[in-house]
Amino acid sequence: MTDVIQSTLDGLMFGSAYALLALGFTLIFGTMRRLNLAYGPTIMAGAYLGAYAFARTGMGALPVALLAVAGAALAGLYVERLCFRPFGEGAAIASMISSFAVWMQIEEAATLALPSHLNAFPRLAAAAPIEVGPFSFRAEHLLMLLVASLAAALVYWGLARTRFGLAVRTVIDHRRAAALVGVPVERTLMLAFVLASAIGGLAGFLIAASEAQITPMFGMWATTKGLIAMMLGGLGSVPGAILGGLALGVIEANAQWLFGPHVRDLVAWGLLFAVLALWPGGLLGGRDGPGAAGHGRV
Amino acid sequence: MDDHLVGVLASIGIVSFVALSAYVLLLSGEVSFGQQAFFALGAYAAGIGTAVLRWPLASALLLGALVGALAAAAVARATLRLTGFAFAMATLAFAEMVRIAAELVVFRVEVDGRLVGPAGTDGFGDIRYLFENDITPGQYAAGVYVLLAAVLALFAAVERSRLGRALRQAGTDPTLAELQGISVVRVRLAAATAAGALAGLGGGLYAHLLTYVEPGNFNIMLGVHSLAYGLIGGLGTALGPVLGVLIDIGLLESSRLFAGYRMIVFGGLVAVLLIVRPRGLLDERAVHWIAARIRERLDALAARRADGPLRRP
Amino acid sequence: MLEVADVATAYGKIEALKGVSLTAEKGRITCLLGPNGAGKTTLMYTIAGILRPRRGSVRLAGEDITGLASSSIVARGLALVPENRLVFPHMSVEENLVAGAYQRRDAPAVAEDIERMYARFPRLQERRQQLAGTLSGGEQQMLAVARALMSRPRILLMDEPSLGLAPRIVEEVFAIVETLNRDGVTIFLVEQNAHMALRVAHHFYLMEQGRVSFSGEPGKLAQDEVIQRAYLGTRRPG
Repeated sequence: MTDVIQSTLDGLMFGSAYALLALGFTLIFGTMRRLNLAYGPTIMAGAYLGAYAFARTGMGALPVALLAVAGAALAGLYVERLCFRPFGEGAAIASMISSFAVWMQIEEAATLALPSHLNAFPRLAAAAPIEVGPFSFRAEHLLMLLVASLAAALVYWGLARTRFGLAVRTVIDHRRAAALVGVPVERTLMLAFVLASAIGGLAGFLIAASEAQITPMFGMWATTKGLIAMMLGGLGSVPGAILGGLALGVIEANAQWLFGPHVRDLVAWGLLFAVLALWPGGLLGGRDGPGAAGHGRV
Repeated sequence: MDDHLVGVLASIGIVSFVALSAYVLLLSGEVSFGQQAFFALGAYAAGIGTAVLRWPLASALLLGALVGALAAAAVARATLRLTGFAFAMATLAFAEMVRIAAELVVFRVEVDGRLVGPAGTDGFGDIRYLFENDITPGQYAAGVYVLLAAVLALFAAVERSRLGRALRQAGTDPTLAELQGISVVRVRLAAATAAGALAGLGGGLYAHLLTYVEPGNFNIMLGVHSLAYGLIGGLGTALGPVLGVLIDIGLLESSRLFAGYRMIVFGGLVAVLLIVRPRGLLDERAVHWIAARIRERLDALAARRADGPLRRP
Repeated sequence: MLEVADVATAYGKIEALKGVSLTAEKGRITCLLGPNGAGKTTLMYTIAGILRPRRGSVRLAGEDITGLASSSIVARGLALVPENRLVFPHMSVEENLVAGAYQRRDAPAVAEDIERMYARFPRLQERRQQLAGTLSGGEQQMLAVARALMSRPRILLMDEPSLGLAPRIVEEVFAIVETLNRDGVTIFLVEQNAHMALRVAHHFYLMEQGRVSFSGEPGKLAQDEVIQRAYLGTRRPG
């Protein structure tokens, strides 16, 4: 029993990073109505920028974090301008394939900059694990949970209370109506995209820093985890993304402890397939299909 | 012709199968990130066919296509209510499940004193049918292209038929299609099954060309690539995905220029191409234009021939 | 107030507007009538900046606004109540109104305006927290009008406000149009319901197949002929 609780708690902590990943993915999908296949790689670009600087100068975790976020945001701007902005209605697939092409670009650029498979990353926290009764918590996981929660709360608050948040919500709810009330739609889309990439960059930093390393597989990994978490919670739903991320973390942690890493991944995908086949709208989406819940609501 | 070039040509032919597989689904209006699952299932099934069951190649390939078709039909049944990105994600989920299952499944049978069969992450080797039957790479490549030509001819025939029109209609406007009496559900199921068969056949061909396959061959990259081939080569004709494969593999193989930067250059070119041609090089408009030019030429030729012997005095 | 000169807008190869010219005078109600497919909505979207014209110009109070982004045009005092209302379906009535005031920075005045809208449209106040997508057609129409008014526009464009509404509600809507105009709002109104439109219009235009075919004032011309053409288009001779 203790094992289950420990895994669940560990899963919740790691799941908070998944939640941030899913949050960024959802912001992009909600505004663009398209999947950004370059999402993971843009996050990796930021993390690699941080790792590169770390390798050259040995700077601390905080400056690396800032670099990771900024790098991801810049990479996101590049993707938005090249793969999303030029495409009108009905060219959704072309847009997606274009983002896939950029995925390849970024992966190659990253491996050119840092050719080795394992690259050192500053530690998130150097403290020893904290013991509470029979449970043990790694300091980096606690910090990850704290930072991710703060970031998610900030985004949630921003969407609900700021003028920019209002613009984003109107664009998500009805793009043409947003244009009619004077929302600068194109600029809002671009800023939302960059913000989503920055959020992803933060998630990437937290994950890489908690393992103190980053590999070239990170781009693909982040994309798949973000996609699964987002779909679990219901495509296009902000609260769903957070829930999906946490759920994925918990399920993975328990599956890993019970069956090992391979089966863990099998369970994640199997769960997604089952959820989609049985509840097309995701956990929060109901039977009406994707995006039915939380659409434009915060 | 050196062996490497023959190998590349054969690869182009084989990968065309999985590109055509994704293309069929695109025509029916759905994006699939998971055709590599049926490619994998076909590869493993056909491999077991020749290496374990000691069947002839043709039977094994047929088995691969059948397994691909059945699996695709099952997945399509399960995902009938899904469309758009939810469907795409479901196909990806299934494909990853197949890949991971391949990493876990070990099924080895003693044949002629050796253990043969899939061995999880160690892959499935000793698919040596070609060696054992003295089939040269050139002969095999020729066989692959004969099959591909037959498939393309089939596509051409279907495109003209009622089924082909129903397929495209279901893809462009499902509501309108239903109103015209087309059962979109049946069309999608048929398309998915055909796509599965295509991918399965390609997988079988792939396994025998390489003699060794492992789960890592059938990852997300292959899936998104299959989709990309159609988008690059063009969605107006079945030749489009094949063109896409030719461009990708052919160009990439031959460009020694950009040694370390191939993906950066190629990715950039693809992104720019898509801005200019969102439905690929041979998109519907291009195909119509080409068809019109060909008809013009044929008409001119016919007119000239008619004039010839009956020229007025 | 609003001058449209030789505007042509196309969707790909299809020219929906073939050179439209008309004027909406300040303080008056100007109506544009015409059958389905005449291009009325295309014209509204072109004026509002959602579509770009291929040629021609649109001037608002003397300033050239042709080809400007929709957000700039709203900033210059033009608001469109679109065909089919286009409310924000998953946002509440109140949030819709707040969104209508997106470009304004004077929060206290915005709050006052919201109360004023509730006074003008009491049914909206009853449903202030309700999701706009769940309102009835007539309520959505009122919300769309109120939302457009929140930006304090100099000119209000309305595209087929009577579409899909019961006759009693249509009467209410046009009563609102008249009241707004009496309060000083310039109105440019597109309608298929020629009867109601001609009752309130100071001036009207008839549009057929992408062109303005007639311009005049109600009561001066055979009403029946105008209405016939508005619904069915020009009858071919013979």
